[in-house]
Amino acid sequence: MSVPTVFLESPQGDEIKEVEATAKSLGPLMAAGWHQVPAPAKHETVILANSKEEK
Amino acid sequence: MANIQELLNGWSYGQQSNITTPNTTAIWRHTNLNTKPWAQIPVNEDDRAEIGKGHEFPTQTFKSHYNMPTYEISKYASSEFLAWVMSFSLGNVTVAGSSAPYTYTVVPAMGATNPTGLELPYFSFIQQMRPGASAILDELLVGCALKSWKLSIKNSPGRASAMCTADCVTTGQYTSPSGITLPTVYTPHEFNAGMISTLTMNGINYLSGGSGKQFVSMDASWDNNFRPGFFPGSGTQDGYQIQGRFEWGDRAFAVQFVVRVQAGSEEYSNLINQTTGTATIAFTRDTNNSFSMEIQKMGFAAAELSNTDGIATIQVTGTQLYDPTNGLLTVSVTTPQSGICQSAS
Repeated sequence: MSVPTVFLESPQGDEIKEVEATAKSLGPLMAAGWHQVPAPAKHETVILANSKEEK
Repeated sequence: MANIQELLNGWSYGQQSNITTPNTTAIWRHTNLNTKPWAQIPVNEDDRAEIGKGHEFPTQTFKSHYNMPTYEISKYASSEFLAWVMSFSLGNVTVAGSSAPYTYTVVPAMGATNPTGLELPYFSFIQQMRPGASAILDELLVGCALKSWKLSIKNSPGRASAMCTADCVTTGQYTSPSGITLPTVYTPHEFNAGMISTLTMNGINYLSGGSGKQFVSMDASWDNNFRPGFFPGSGTQDGYQIQGRFEWGDRAFAVQFVVRVQAGSEEYSNLINQTTGTATIAFTRDTNNSFSMEIQKMGFAAAELSNTDGIATIQVTGTQLYDPTNGLLTVSVTTPQSGICQSAS
């Protein structure tokens, strides 16, 4: 079963990332102030897992 | 006259859109081990300090403000309640899943990056006794915030072995009658201490290895230390001033735990060597209900020999350090309940 993802927006509001919904992946970004936003209408899936980008 | 058992408590699991707009749709009803209603305390002042009356005695009273006391919600720890408590008290919440179960990941919001500054999400609270035309009590309290919580784990049987209490505050704004028909009582998926699946403190594993079976109890607590919310324009209710914001002050995160002493106990060496490491406490009930709290960097502030029910123990006070990469703590809760701390759509 694939890990669900969520979309996080940077604290500056200038970037949105799709991130694996695991505490290990989300924790550092959320601690830095990234917060969840709805999925953008059109988005390229670049999933961040354990702080490493995978295309 | 009414028996206190008739008191019904409900509150919004969804957040309000702002401090003055109640959330009347995402409401659940829960039992509460605190048997008191949330008191409303309007405060009057008088003119005793004013000269010109010819004497020192007060001659009239004036409406001052609503001094709303802190209200405790005390429950056995469950996936639903822990998700609610952590989300509303810490503030930065993500939820994943398109159908049950949902996984909530929560970290403390930081003032520099939180979209609402120093304010946390607000919720609505309902208390009723015989709601209807002859209601004894029927109030919707608007603009409630979660001030503090305490998570307690004990080596005792039953649900009381894992408890969570939450202290809530509210502005003084209310609607009566509430206009809310509370749903049936929610049945939460509760944990007990036997369901602890990870228990590691600063590198010491208390579930297996040399320190296995040695854990006695733990108290973890969080306090947002809200600043008073009265300010010019904060609002009124019945002519009394009410609070218009709850901004966190110096937040406090405390962890204390008790373990049995044995030969080669690592707690003293970790204290003296100033060793730091992660601490993780996790409950797993089933695939739909779990809780994990990871403290990113814990040191020991004190380790004191003691006696617990005739067994030699050490009471350890942790120092929870902020890690520059991972922050202070990360909470992850999986639960069947959707919409916790989410905005009304």
